[in-house]
Amino acid sequence: MIKTEVYEQALFETVKRGATEISADVKEAFEAAIARESNPDAKKGLIATLNSMEMSAKRENPLCVDTGWPIFYFKVGNQCVLEGGFVELENAARRAVAKATELGYLRATMKHPLTGYDPGNNIGMNIPDFTYQFVDGDSIEISYAAKGGGSECFGGTRHRIVAFADGIAGIEKFVIDSFVASARAGAVCPPSVLGIGIGGTANVAANLAKEAACLRTVGSKHPDPMFAKIEEDLYKALNSLGVGILGAGGDTSVLAVNVEYAYTHIAGIACATSTNCMVARRASSRIDANGKVTIMRSPNWFGDR
Amino acid sequence: MAEYHLTGPLTDADVEKLNIGDMVYISGEAFTCRSRLQKYIFDEKNVLPFSTAGRNILIHNGPIVIKENGQWRLVSFMPTSSIRFEKWGAQSVDQWDLKMIVGKTTMGKETAQMMKEKKCVHVSPRSVSPNLWIDSIEVQDVYLYDELGRIEAAWFFKLHELGPFIVDIDTKGQNLFDRLDEQISENKDKALQELGIDPDFQFTKLY
Repeated sequence: MIKTEVYEQALFETVKRGATEISADVKEAFEAAIARESNPDAKKGLIATLNSMEMSAKRENPLCVDTGWPIFYFKVGNQCVLEGGFVELENAARRAVAKATELGYLRATMKHPLTGYDPGNNIGMNIPDFTYQFVDGDSIEISYAAKGGGSECFGGTRHRIVAFADGIAGIEKFVIDSFVASARAGAVCPPSVLGIGIGGTANVAANLAKEAACLRTVGSKHPDPMFAKIEEDLYKALNSLGVGILGAGGDTSVLAVNVEYAYTHIAGIACATSTNCMVARRASSRIDANGKVTIMRSPNWFGDR
Repeated sequence: MAEYHLTGPLTDADVEKLNIGDMVYISGEAFTCRSRLQKYIFDEKNVLPFSTAGRNILIHNGPIVIKENGQWRLVSFMPTSSIRFEKWGAQSVDQWDLKMIVGKTTMGKETAQMMKEKKCVHVSPRSVSPNLWIDSIEVQDVYLYDELGRIEAAWFFKLHELGPFIVDIDTKGQNLFDRLDEQISENKDKALQELGIDPDFQFTKLY
């Protein structure tokens, strides 16, 4: 059985790391973007952003002032046993978020949607958000993603049902139109990690898009060549737009395009997008049945991609 | 594109020389606001509890500030998106006598028109680099902390060469992003054609 104090500490460390440390894959994508950038101001902006992100790890302060919606993903072994069960896991996650807020790793960003009441700890109705995936084994993998307001509020996250008559062209047109509108003036904090969900009901497509944006390893490809081609085609197309860092021009508008899919109804293709901001904050840890905690380089949500 | 180092309070002459695309570094006294403060003043008709004379630089921002040993410490800072405050943009420029708004994204036509009339500019960051900025900001004071909370309160900052920011709305009413939109729109048509998609592609109407 994994003790409460073990998973609570792991949850807190994962939240803190997600808020303050750039992921290795995002850093590599930044370095590649800096190397190929031909617009001098955009290049300076990318370098300044990377420098600041590296300083955050040392200073232990947030990568961005907007520390976003707190979102947890749990990939749980079917034989995994937690002290207090999953209700206590979620309570521990809430305590970890509150502690991280109190210590200044997170900003008190979550508020009541109508009154604007600020609880001061990022805890409220249905927040943090929890998603589970069940697999064989007795360990648990914890991923924390901080989904920024910029990336979520300005049309980077949207949905459309595309008719079978419109097919891949319809999907790609929807994605490109959506991205151009949402990236105007840098609203979604490009260069984005763009997640696309194809198929399922609207909410399934939207969840897949968010998971593709937040949990896929930047630089990975979908194993199915049909979806890998859509990723590659859209990556090239979006990087030819000239949106650049914060929308003021440049060669890199997306750091990655990640597609995930579900089977859909014969009536239509639900299609959703979710942009993650350039900081693309997340962190993951695995806790084995014996209580050993390991920092994970990537979330492993979609296996090895 | 020129680079300017400006010190507030800003004069008409300071901002009239700026053109879209210029880069600026800012020193002097500024204050912050987000939606809640503008709603509190302009919609709920409360009186701003401080004077903006001598403090005519507004930063759209909700900083992370914590109190340590009785002193405010700025933990993180990044301008937030101005476009969502368009409803109050023209009023804030007019009633607060602003000469500069610092914010991510840009503002709309109504605010740009007021900026032209009142001589005010909007400037925008080109990076997400809180750590390169927090050392350039001294937290002086805070107003409306109890009423609006620590993120939405009006923080008083003293800036020391804070920047660089790009001028995206100038006093002639020009908007940098409107210009970029034209180029991006052309690039989009080319990108669609490369993918074999007609730029005028019409979706099958489902509802």
